Amino acid sequence: MSAPHIVTIRELSKVYRQGEINVVALNNISLDIAQGEFLTLMGPSGSGKSTLLHIIAGIDRPTKGVCRVQDIDLTKLDESGLADWRNQNVGFVFQTFNLIPVLTAFENIELPLLLTRLSAKRRREQVNTALELVGLAERQKHLPRQLSGGQEQRVAIARALVTDPKLIVADEPTGNLDSNSAQEVLGILQMLSRQIGKTVIMVTHDPKAAAFGSRSIHLEKGELTN
Amino acid sequence: MTTVGFIARNALRNKRRFILSVSSVAVSLFLLVTLQVALRELTNPINDEGSTLRIIVRNKVSLAQPLPARQLPTIERIPGVAAVTPFSYYGGLYKGDEKFTSFAQFAVDPVRSFDLLSDAKVAPEQLKAWAADRTSAIVGRKTAERYGLKIGDRMQFTGQIYPCDLEFKVAGVYEGTADDRNVFFHQKYLDESLGDPGTVGTWWVKASSVEEATLITDRINKAFANTSAEVRAETERAFQLGFVSMWANIKILIGGISMVVVFALLLVTVSTMSMAIRERFRELAVLKAIGFRRRDLFAFILAESFGLATLGALLGAGGAWLLYGSIDMQQLSNGMFLMFEVTPQMLALAFSIAAVLGLLSAAAPMLGVARTSVVQGLKTLD
Repeated sequence: MSAPHIVTIRELSKVYRQGEINVVALNNISLDIAQGEFLTLMGPSGSGKSTLLHIIAGIDRPTKGVCRVQDIDLTKLDESGLADWRNQNVGFVFQTFNLIPVLTAFENIELPLLLTRLSAKRRREQVNTALELVGLAERQKHLPRQLSGGQEQRVAIARALVTDPKLIVADEPTGNLDSNSAQEVLGILQMLSRQIGKTVIMVTHDPKAAAFGSRSIHLEKGELTN
Repeated sequence: MTTVGFIARNALRNKRRFILSVSSVAVSLFLLVTLQVALRELTNPINDEGSTLRIIVRNKVSLAQPLPARQLPTIERIPGVAAVTPFSYYGGLYKGDEKFTSFAQFAVDPVRSFDLLSDAKVAPEQLKAWAADRTSAIVGRKTAERYGLKIGDRMQFTGQIYPCDLEFKVAGVYEGTADDRNVFFHQKYLDESLGDPGTVGTWWVKASSVEEATLITDRINKAFANTSAEVRAETERAFQLGFVSMWANIKILIGGISMVVVFALLLVTVSTMSMAIRERFRELAVLKAIGFRRRDLFAFILAESFGLATLGALLGAGGAWLLYGSIDMQQLSNGMFLMFEVTPQMLALAFSIAAVLGLLSAAAPMLGVARTSVVQGLKTLD
């Protein structure tokens, strides 16, 4: 029996208005993503892959269509509802890491937990678990500037994991890394999908990176090509 | 990590800018409080307990015009008058002072004057000694301390208004009034030195009750209407406010400077906060992405802005309060300022301005954050 779908997308479109011109970023996309899947979104620049990722992650809204994640129609949630939903259900990994430079690795990972009602002790435990999972327990007191790019991205993955979300979205997570660090990061994302059952959706240009995924889909001019 | 700790880390991420911003608020509010204290000192007459009963009678033409000494019995007979004394400003230059003497000298009736100056405390034997010796004087405690004067010491004055130099023997020291600096001596001594001109500077009258005070001023004015020396009798408060009205332009000037200070401060703080938030747009977008709501980010910005302004107010206004409470401004200003006191109202004004400043300087960044979506924010360059 196949795994239940965590993401269900039907006839989804996104149109941006740039001055007098309408730019179609996504055109009538329908897609299902299974729980625990490591899906890679590929395609040339401007193909709409990041837009699709943003809509699935609840940080952008479609112009029309349905995007259901864990049976919740994201288009029906208001701004605050989406924020709460993201905190509980999505972990973000960005190309430029986006760690807060004045916080240590530990504190960066702890940040999403400040929105929960967990005690300080429980928070500490969760952060330590996430740090161990990405292999950075000994670097917890380091500031981002004291870490290498690969280590920074591993901290970002730990931050994405710490609230134990079902879904992890990664937008070109290896774009700023050397090949060794990229391998490490991709290995962690693969492990999260295979061993812990997280659903990982990753945008990438790199076919080698895409090879780490369990399924790859291509977008071109806002449409799925396979 | 706590939310407060997170806000503090953000505020302190650029320490130099933080220190300069807090300093600009602190210095501006220090200046504002100082201006307010100076304004109050210059325009708010000191009132003591007895001032509600005292009436000052001066020549209707001008304060500089003397009054005939013969008016005394007429004033004494007016109903409600409890005591009268001549009160003539001598305005001498004390030996050693080159241009300005920081205390006033008044020629009075030694027997009746301390009836009027009911707040002044002086030992009865000193008062008695003063009354017995026409060339003696009673000196305010602050002046005695400033010049190291003891009973029996002599004080020499050069006349600046009257064409006579005077020398007094210190018979006593008084204290307990709002301004313990003055020197009181015998009107008769001044009269003798001037060749008995039969005039006094002003009359100071004590009313038998507060209710009577207003009635007495009318009675005195009427008593000398259509005489060769018409008078203007008014309560001590009205007399002092007459002096205050002369400071009108100073009030406008200080008020204007205060407004400019506050406005400049506002521009500086708004600019600083805008800069601080603008360079963190991407981070704020990340916070939004990981679940912080718009109102959480507003709270962070507001708290940072408030914190900066409040810390500035604590240093500036609090610093002024501590400084002016610990230094002798009277001595430093050569007697120009007596109290130089930072009142709770002034502190409240400074902290209110800081609060408004915190609010206004957070407004623009908050608007920016509200208008920017997560996706737009993430595209912002570092």
